[in-house]
Amino acid sequence: MSGWAQFKAIVRKDLIRELRTRDMLVSMILFVLLAMIIFHYAFTVKEGTDLTFFTGGMLWVTFIFAMLLGLNRSFAQEKDEHCLDGLLLCPVDRVTIFLAKTAGNLVFLLIIQAVAVPVFALFFIERNFIGDLLPFLVVLLLADLGICSLGTLLATISMNTRSRDLLLPILLLPLLVPVLIAATGATTLIFAEGAGFGSLGGRMLVLLGFDAVFFVAAWGTYDFAIGE
Amino acid sequence: MKKLLSAPALFAVAGVLLIVGVVLAFWYSPVDASSMGFSQKILYYHAPIAAAALVAYGVAFVAAIAYLRTQDLKWDRLGFVSVRIGLVFSVLVMITGMIWGKAAWGTWWAWEPRLTTFLLACFLYAAYWVLRSVVDEEQRRATYAAVFAIIAFIDVPITFFATRFLPEGLHPVVVGPGGGGMEGSMAVSFGICMIGMLVLMAAMIVRDLEIELIKDRVTDLKTSLGG
Repeated sequence: MSGWAQFKAIVRKDLIRELRTRDMLVSMILFVLLAMIIFHYAFTVKEGTDLTFFTGGMLWVTFIFAMLLGLNRSFAQEKDEHCLDGLLLCPVDRVTIFLAKTAGNLVFLLIIQAVAVPVFALFFIERNFIGDLLPFLVVLLLADLGICSLGTLLATISMNTRSRDLLLPILLLPLLVPVLIAATGATTLIFAEGAGFGSLGGRMLVLLGFDAVFFVAAWGTYDFAIGE
Repeated sequence: MKKLLSAPALFAVAGVLLIVGVVLAFWYSPVDASSMGFSQKILYYHAPIAAAALVAYGVAFVAAIAYLRTQDLKWDRLGFVSVRIGLVFSVLVMITGMIWGKAAWGTWWAWEPRLTTFLLACFLYAAYWVLRSVVDEEQRRATYAAVFAIIAFIDVPITFFATRFLPEGLHPVVVGPGGGGMEGSMAVSFGICMIGMLVLMAAMIVRDLEIELIKDRVTDLKTSLGG
């Protein structure tokens, strides 16, 4: 079986398992929608408060927390049902497992975002930002890639420890600060004033650099993280 | 040579350098001509402490790579003590930075790139600490800690770069592009403090490493005696 076929098989396995139960996706989508409502009440101090400059922050905080839920869930299942042991016994390259798990998590995050972003726009954004969709999608994808690759590596580590899901946010959140700074700033600027690629270049560069560096770092160290 | 690099010798050298450095800083170097005035004296300790913290994290990074390559637990011990010393220095950076901030800018805390980066480094390496405490098996703990030490060390400069996109900072740039530079007598005092602080950091790492290795030997002896 070639690497590509193995990669596809693992991604397919994760997607089928999730689509059969829909545990993770349903909870994550509900969580994201609930978070928006909570943010609305938390930040609206008086009638007609302008939340425009909070939009990027609200969106990314929600996505990162939802992803923490999803990552923990996806690896808890692997561990509890001994799926991962089975996977490790197969003649599959560890790097292929990393790539497939990252891709699977990325797909879940994108599905959630496909539901959440339109609702978010309906709730919080008065400007029509259809024209600025392209820079927004680029920021979204770049940030997602960083969150998923680093998240997959650290979720693999944390599920093998005593505190399991408790550990993941402590490890992952401080590392994701650069993503949060760049993605939040870029998203807010797009929503508030329709900023284009020109004015977002620096932030996109931070995201791209983060993705590249941590993708390589996670790739290189995943072998050690997943164990024997 | 071995004696010269032992912890007591390094501590003695660091002590002398740091005392000489502080004496020079106060009595030989002039009071800063800029608006910072006398409060600028804290720079002679603040910046070397920051450098020492970063070097300690750098040592942990190198030790982590060495561990993953060799699986020799000595490297894990070196990484562990370096992170511990780095954390101590990071906390000192924050404290001296806050004191200086209060004197120079009138505020204890500013969300300024360097201070924010150090705050995050504290959280990152505190997480390293937590990670070590929740893995029981020796080799696995060392492996996870090494992976995280590598990731954390890479994250620090990216965070620093990203914080540039936060609203304007207040930090003075003394050395480097756009920096004011240093007058000769200031540079002498600063250099002595810098070397002194780095030697102090090295002394602390060497001492802690010796303690960890002795602990390992005690554990081995206990095991071999059937305890």
